[in-house]
Amino acid sequence: MRIGVLVKQVPATENVKIDEKTGVMMRSGAESELNPLDMYAVEEAVRIKERLGGEVVVLSMGPPSAEYAVRDALSMGCDRGFLISDRLFAGSDTLATARILSAAILKLGGFDMIFAGERATDGETGQVGPGVAARLGVSLITYVRKISDVDNFRVVAERAVEEGTEIVEAALPALITVVKEINEPRVPDLAGKIGSMFAQIPVLSGKDISINKEKVGLKGSPTRVAKVFYPKLTRNGRIIDGKDPEKAVAELIRFLKEKSIL
Amino acid sequence: MNEFEKVGVSFVKDLRRIVGERAVIYEDREALEAYSSDESGGVYYSHLPEVVVKPENAKQISEIVKLAGDARVPITPRGAGSGLAGGAVPIYGGVVISFERMNKILEIDEENLVAVSEPGVVTNDLCKKVAERNLYYAGYPMSVETSFIGGNVATNAGGSKVIKYGNTVHHILGVEAVLPSGETVRFGGKRRKDSSGYDFVRLLAGSEGTLALFTKIFVNLIPLPGKTVDLLVPFKSTEDAVRNVAVAIKEGGVLPTAVEFIDKLSVKLGEKYNNVVLPFSDTAEAYLIVQFEGKSREELEKIYVNAGKALISHGAMNVFVADNRTNSDKIWKVRRNWLEGIKAFDPYVPTGDVVVPTSEIPKIIDFIKILSKESGVKIPVAGHAADGNLHPAPMKPEDMNPAAWKDYSEEILDKIALKAAELGGAVSGEHGIGFIKKRVLAETKPAQVSIMRSLKRVFDPNGILNPGKLFDL
Repeated sequence: MRIGVLVKQVPATENVKIDEKTGVMMRSGAESELNPLDMYAVEEAVRIKERLGGEVVVLSMGPPSAEYAVRDALSMGCDRGFLISDRLFAGSDTLATARILSAAILKLGGFDMIFAGERATDGETGQVGPGVAARLGVSLITYVRKISDVDNFRVVAERAVEEGTEIVEAALPALITVVKEINEPRVPDLAGKIGSMFAQIPVLSGKDISINKEKVGLKGSPTRVAKVFYPKLTRNGRIIDGKDPEKAVAELIRFLKEKSIL
Repeated sequence: MNEFEKVGVSFVKDLRRIVGERAVIYEDREALEAYSSDESGGVYYSHLPEVVVKPENAKQISEIVKLAGDARVPITPRGAGSGLAGGAVPIYGGVVISFERMNKILEIDEENLVAVSEPGVVTNDLCKKVAERNLYYAGYPMSVETSFIGGNVATNAGGSKVIKYGNTVHHILGVEAVLPSGETVRFGGKRRKDSSGYDFVRLLAGSEGTLALFTKIFVNLIPLPGKTVDLLVPFKSTEDAVRNVAVAIKEGGVLPTAVEFIDKLSVKLGEKYNNVVLPFSDTAEAYLIVQFEGKSREELEKIYVNAGKALISHGAMNVFVADNRTNSDKIWKVRRNWLEGIKAFDPYVPTGDVVVPTSEIPKIIDFIKILSKESGVKIPVAGHAADGNLHPAPMKPEDMNPAAWKDYSEEILDKIALKAAELGGAVSGEHGIGFIKKRVLAETKPAQVSIMRSLKRVFDPNGILNPGKLFDL
């Protein structure tokens, strides 16, 4: 089984700050880390490899520092890692990123299964995984909370959907985006960490993956951020005088009905 | 001593005049109950105050103190109520002064690297506020998001970072306080040196509200340390774990920020409570959690590789490395929620707090193990191993009734405390004495207690400030 995992380096902060004027994420100064949701994707890939054999290859598109996200994934048990990095890629939106990642995957000979986190904690779009599947023309299962069965030809997965659970069977190759419920990612051990420190991480540029310059970076990104703003939280407190309990309850019921809560 | 007057209607009227109608709780049992205990063991150690007052400034406190002094009504100061020795419990009734409304950070002075805080500020909030300016308050104990800075100073709190940074008193440059006479005084301040006579800041830190009431606290700030890495290290035996505390301290090449110990029983209960599984939890008898700080990823890598290799060569089953928030949270969860985890399975559990020289940790652990067997009581243990501070938490046997358990558990904890003192340690490392540990303090430090009594009479001739705490007059 050849398994690929797509990971992203994200700012290590609970609150991603956005420049409200330019709409650009403010990354400078912030520490970076492997996207927490990607750890679940890495864990699932490594568990399947441990069961069925094969190898897990981790890929990340990003600036040179994104190498650390690749190393962190290697420390959890991935076998090889690639950084896809080129100045041309700067400013890529989710469409351009999906183009770049799928070109890299093709360059590496494709995978039987590809795992990705449901979304990244910075952009929160959840579009790149599905975009890659569409470009590669492989099966896509999103929001997976359990892989119930997998062999060399097919995968059966449980999807967490609003109404409950969907059980989906798909032919391989398939791209799977995972949610947190799927597993408990391992904390890497010292041997894993030391191994990841010394691993060679080849960098693939635009040339290496033979991608059209016009289709990547700002030029190749049709997404335009029209406006960015922080949602205003408004709360209205109201205290109902409880001196006359019957009156107070009647008032509460009237109020809740008015708001269509009852 | 300790003959006090009851709170009367005119006393309450005067309190209301000083702080306003809404800042006084009187004749409302349900509301008063919230001020009757701390986290030392609920019902066993609770006493109802007669009245609770919530002042907003030093002037109000001064007036309240004068009023109580004239009326001979005892005063019990109260922070967040997160203490574990009963320090905030009003054992003689009287008036509880709650600092909950004195919750403002008055100043963050970046030039002098000092923050000035009111005592009712949640220490965690203070840390967050100064971190916004890349500054760090290193005296932060482990009680995440609860304890007040005033309570921290009053008990001279510790925490996990003492090996590197020292306990609370090392980070307090000054206090403003109201004396039992009603006079407001300042000791120390924004200066970092003071060789002019007795060091009152050090005297008041750990005085548990028996000498004065803090109204302002001057804390020391340092630049925010860079990154951290946490190592989770399982061991086949507690002896191995304890022996490796010294390895963890020495072999990284820099002083660790923390070396925490947690035993198998604690881990098992913690896993259930937190719904997590730690690696090796079926075979490991104990774990150490080791934390290092460093400027860069590369620097930290060097440190933890050195420390990790040394730990493995000294018998660690493996070393797990958490260098991001997700994994660090995972590693610390069981340790941070240790007491809550045990209380979920035994609401009657009291927490011990003893300190020994680090070299004596194996002996005190052995003693606790033997005591556990002899007494037929399970005693999970966790603690700040780097500074020899351990927390045994005896669990009530199922068939024992709660009333008998109070005496039995106190007997067990007293034995452990006395043993710690015998080994060159002390009966409390960081939680304080309150009224629960008075017996063992009197037994182990008679000379000191005698001087403390004399000092108390100088500061508080009427004995109205937190009576019955630390010692009996």
